[in-house]
Amino acid sequence: MAQPVQKGNYDHIIVKKPSAWVRMKKYAGFYLMFLPVVVVLFIFYYAPMYGITFAFYNYKPNGKEPQFVGLANFQKLFSDPTFWASFKNTLIISLVNLALATVTSVVVALLLNEIQRAMVKKVINTVLYLPHFLSWVVVASIFMLLVQPNGLLSQILHLFHLIDDTALAQTDWLTQKSCWRIIFYFINRWKEIGWGTVIYIAALAGISPDYYEAAEIDGANRWQQTLNITLPSLSNTILVVFILNLARVMNIFESVFVLYNSAVYSVADVIGTYTYRVGLKPTVGLPNYGYSTTIGIFKSIVSLILVLITDEISKKVRGYGLV
Amino acid sequence: MVYKFSLSDPRYRGRSIFAIFNFAFMVILMACMLLPIIKVLADSFNADTVYGFNLWPSNPTIDGYAYVIARGGSEYLKAFGISVYTTIVGTFIGLLLSAIGAYILIQREMPGNKFFGYMFLFTMMFNAGTIPLFLVIRAIGLYNTLWAVIFPLSMNVYNLILMRSFFEQLPKALFEAAEIDGCTPYGIFFKIVLPLSKAALASIGLFFAVAFWSEYVQYVIYISDTDKYNFQVKLRTLVIDDTFTLDSNFNASLNTVKNAAIIIAILPFIFIYPFCQKYFMTGVTMGAVKE
Repeated sequence: MAQPVQKGNYDHIIVKKPSAWVRMKKYAGFYLMFLPVVVVLFIFYYAPMYGITFAFYNYKPNGKEPQFVGLANFQKLFSDPTFWASFKNTLIISLVNLALATVTSVVVALLLNEIQRAMVKKVINTVLYLPHFLSWVVVASIFMLLVQPNGLLSQILHLFHLIDDTALAQTDWLTQKSCWRIIFYFINRWKEIGWGTVIYIAALAGISPDYYEAAEIDGANRWQQTLNITLPSLSNTILVVFILNLARVMNIFESVFVLYNSAVYSVADVIGTYTYRVGLKPTVGLPNYGYSTTIGIFKSIVSLILVLITDEISKKVRGYGLV
Repeated sequence: MVYKFSLSDPRYRGRSIFAIFNFAFMVILMACMLLPIIKVLADSFNADTVYGFNLWPSNPTIDGYAYVIARGGSEYLKAFGISVYTTIVGTFIGLLLSAIGAYILIQREMPGNKFFGYMFLFTMMFNAGTIPLFLVIRAIGLYNTLWAVIFPLSMNVYNLILMRSFFEQLPKALFEAAEIDGCTPYGIFFKIVLPLSKAALASIGLFFAVAFWSEYVQYVIYISDTDKYNFQVKLRTLVIDDTFTLDSNFNASLNTVKNAAIIIAILPFIFIYPFCQKYFMTGVTMGAVKE
């Protein structure tokens, strides 16, 4: 008969975690490897943060040293009507775009999910995703040619007698204040509608077929199943995508930059484009580095607040934060 | 669940009618996606000055393309070359930085690991803005060089974190075994981590490639020399320019040339797209359905 294994008393042996120094030496190779990443990160992300101080200076490329002006740039910011117009435009354009994106992507994802044949589904997906990968310059170019005078849009409107011959030959729809935003939203949907569905389709694939089978037995029709099973299962994903995008509403720049023009500044100018005009390519005078830094800081702070708010929402709803 | 398609059987009728409408909707949606591109393609071969609704060139010519290629002593060909160059170099550097960064972030035992993680996260939440970055780039002498485009774009924290979630799925036991056998961190990285992550490298590499190919804003901000511009910038200038005139030996209108330039800009992507689509998908679902 085997002897019962005697339990030893190991209490006197304390397993000490090696000191930080010893562990760091063990990882010396890793630190060395990491160095280039840190250098690039530091130069292009952290070094510019020092430049934030320019918000307190009058700094223009006029050969003079930057001159400390305290909060003057911030005072200017709060009383600058062009800035507030761009702030308002940023919020309106981004939020409407986000709302449209959420609705259209969910609807198209649900409809795509109803397509039974895998091959057909694949072809449709391939076509719908395509515009997402075209650059904004290309997309803007395509649509600028379509809405230019005598372009396809004008031709169609003319065909239905909605515009006369002069309008056909002269109207560039992107220079019309009343139309610019609608065209902008449309182009955004054209570019992103398919790609926006990807994440929902992945989530739809994850819903257990058992639910549908049970509902089927209970006599629920397809529409009832969609309302009571599919949409509730998707709600979490919809919310996550929504709050992730909410954190980015201030960042809108390139899409507007390639589609706007001086005729529609009042409805199209966003903070990003206004900063660009003030700080890099002003129409008159020298670039104002100090003031545009101030605008940039304001934008970053609003962004940060939005991130923190959405992080809080995310924690409440999902139980954990954004990242 | 697969349902039978039948209009005569009352059990399947409702669903079958829906399937028809759904399919019709998808066809219309696909047409909306493709028509603008097809229109541009048709017009790029059309020498007329005003086009109607035709999706086929009424006055066929290839002079639009000939003009783009010949313009300004092959100025556009050079820009195309710069696009190719920055895409290749940038994708390589971008992948290298993301992979190394991700590799460091999965070393949970490494002192400072948490700090490095927060270092990346902070840049996602707060950035200094365009002008301070512009001033830094000017100060270190990168202004008006292609590196001013390549470096800021290749340090992409989103892609880095995507890569990390991929690396986290690799079996830890492999690393430990290699370490016991005397493999250095570099050895593990190049001989184990990278070969096992081909799918991640392919999909994140494609994201980088598309981003570099499409880049426009960085060139406009950080480069002043017009012969260092990529094809996107040249295309943009061409499309908003209504004043240039063509030599009379080109049988093409202003619009023909503009349309041809658009097609040239999307051609490389259209060629690789059908073959790479699954890698794009891997990338997104990898980041999204992690939880």
